[in-house]
Amino acid sequence: MKINDIVERAPWPFAPPGPVVGFDIGSRGSKGVLLTPDELHTTFVPTGLYMQETADDLLARLLKQTGLRRRDIGFIVGTGYGRISLKYKDIPYQVVTEITCHAMGAHALNPRTRTIIDIGGQDSKAIKVDPATGKVVEFVMNDKCAAGTGRFLEKAAVLLGLELDELGGVALEATEPAPISSQCVVFAESEMVSLRARGERSGDQATRANIAAGIHFASARRVKTLLGRVGIEPDLVFTGGVANNVGMWHALEELIGATFTRSPIDMIYAGALGAAVHAGKFHAAALQAGTAKPKAVAAVGSGRGKPASRPRAGAPRRAAFVQVG
Amino acid sequence: MAKTQTARARAAKRPAPSLSAPLLPIHALIEAEQQAFIEAQDDVKRAGYFCAYTPPELLNAAGLRHARLFKAGSPEIVAQGERFTQSVFCDFSKSCIGGFDQNAGDPFYRAVDKVYNFHTCASMKRASEVIEQFVPTTLLNLPRNRGDAASRAFFREEIVHFRDDVAALAGRAITEDDLREQIRLFNKARRLLKKFSELRKRPFSPLSGKDFLELVRGYYYLPPQTLLSAYEKLYRKLSRVPDDGERPVRLMVSGSIMADGDRRLVELIEDEIGARVVVEDHCTGLKPFTHTVRETGDPFQALADGYLDQAPCARMKPLDDSVNLTGELAQEYDVEGVVYVYLKFCACYGVTKLEFISHLQQLGIPVLEISSDYSSSDHGQLKTRVEAFIEVLTERRGERVGDTVAAD
Repeated sequence: MKINDIVERAPWPFAPPGPVVGFDIGSRGSKGVLLTPDELHTTFVPTGLYMQETADDLLARLLKQTGLRRRDIGFIVGTGYGRISLKYKDIPYQVVTEITCHAMGAHALNPRTRTIIDIGGQDSKAIKVDPATGKVVEFVMNDKCAAGTGRFLEKAAVLLGLELDELGGVALEATEPAPISSQCVVFAESEMVSLRARGERSGDQATRANIAAGIHFASARRVKTLLGRVGIEPDLVFTGGVANNVGMWHALEELIGATFTRSPIDMIYAGALGAAVHAGKFHAAALQAGTAKPKAVAAVGSGRGKPASRPRAGAPRRAAFVQVG
Repeated sequence: MAKTQTARARAAKRPAPSLSAPLLPIHALIEAEQQAFIEAQDDVKRAGYFCAYTPPELLNAAGLRHARLFKAGSPEIVAQGERFTQSVFCDFSKSCIGGFDQNAGDPFYRAVDKVYNFHTCASMKRASEVIEQFVPTTLLNLPRNRGDAASRAFFREEIVHFRDDVAALAGRAITEDDLREQIRLFNKARRLLKKFSELRKRPFSPLSGKDFLELVRGYYYLPPQTLLSAYEKLYRKLSRVPDDGERPVRLMVSGSIMADGDRRLVELIEDEIGARVVVEDHCTGLKPFTHTVRETGDPFQALADGYLDQAPCARMKPLDDSVNLTGELAQEYDVEGVVYVYLKFCACYGVTKLEFISHLQQLGIPVLEISSDYSSSDHGQLKTRVEAFIEVLTERRGERVGDTVAAD
């Protein structure tokens, strides 16, 4: 898609000097974004056993979509939990954490972003972003327990006999969300089993919806705790794979009492987009330093990957990065 | 000879520690000392203690083999300990109990003839009551109000009790002159450790955070005479290392005990990410070496005052003393960020954390908070957190430089 169709700012200050790629190799799904000076392409594959193969697959798909060749790619940035294992002989490569990438991805699409909820396959994060730069001010990440993450919802869908992408929709039909009190996946699962048993006896579809809603509220409560630590300032943006789940979207908005700002692209790609934006900056810096040759398509590009404005000088900024214990 | 070889063969089986090369001889000394503690066929009694408020001066004056018992238990040892506790005890207290398990425990712990425990937190007090089933244990009291004259008089009495108990164990008297000599000896060691730490104030320290923790480990395992000769040599060597190279991100590690063997956070920071721990305020880092004990007058009162005046544990009152010290160390060592880490279920550092964190925030120092245990299943998440923190600090560094340029 054309970047100018999806962002308000023209020229877009994050446009790379030439084609660059961002990968977000998550625990469940892997995302790829290819940015050219005026276009944005996305692709998704389930994460395989070997991260490099997954990344190669993503790159092949992106090249096919765009008709570009491998040697046209100026820079790759990898993020997500599989970021470490990637290696490229022929393309410059860097690793950036998904926290930094999600902040940049959300900021690049919407510069008013101040708070991000990112829920992925195995963890959830609340991130506070500096709207002037897209940099992380503060973040909180869930503990090693999986409550409130995509993995938990996946498990819940299986127990309810639903596909993962049906779960959120079913939850919206709930008349009375089931009281699932536990924040622990294991216990919540056993609560679900007993709730389901009751529902199956009456053959009630509504019970399933109520359980599904209960699951989302239980997860959302967990995420709300994270948000409580960084604070909620609009624009509030929901990123990560679970951002596609309408049930979670609804449960969070209701619990937090705030609304998420809609994004112009599927926010499962926020991390990969942020990675691609960073790739664009690295590529621009390499061109400037004379350590990289401009790629063929670079001539088309006008914008250089520059931050929107300089960070302000002044009093030391207060910053805390608080984790859930 | 045969014994040394056995010790060496065993040491060879363990993974090599990721220490700087000049530290390896110290590491070998510690390993040998630990083997001797377990294996040496002598009549010398072995005394162990848990807490940095225990004056080893007395144990050494009695001629005992002595060591601080602060190993991080393996998951199996933690599980052994958990048979006796609720799950909501920290992994350290569980490790202390599990280490004494007659079958699955740690041979080093099982070699101990007597345990001394100064009552710090409730978990450790309960732990020592369980350990009493396995090995004779003396629980001593440690007052909380460190400034009170009454506390000091009381603590002096506790130290006299401690002396009597230790003398009975060793079967020999401990004179005041013996004690004064030991105080001088341990003061030398403490001053030396502090000097080592000051090398870390350089932009490019010749000593990693892990190296310093190894030196502290030595303080708690080696007899002071052995320590002094080995450490003085090492200090001369390290102080001559040129202060150049790329400046790593400077971090402080703050919070609860970082046990012997609990290195995964520091290894992650230093070996995997390339930042440096330049100071720590916990009781297995720099904290016990910020004070010395008075060398004149009544040695019992000197020990009572000296240990109460040392950099305080967060269980002491007033808490402000601990919080302020953390802030002062962070500034003195010019750290760019603080990793505040505490053991899960730590009723002390887990509860006072907000006091520490908000104080550091007010000083403009970013903090990463981590609650930890001795399992390793969360390595990936831990890595993401620490890496993201370092990314933010690196960005800030860029801004700081940028700001200076703008001011010019």
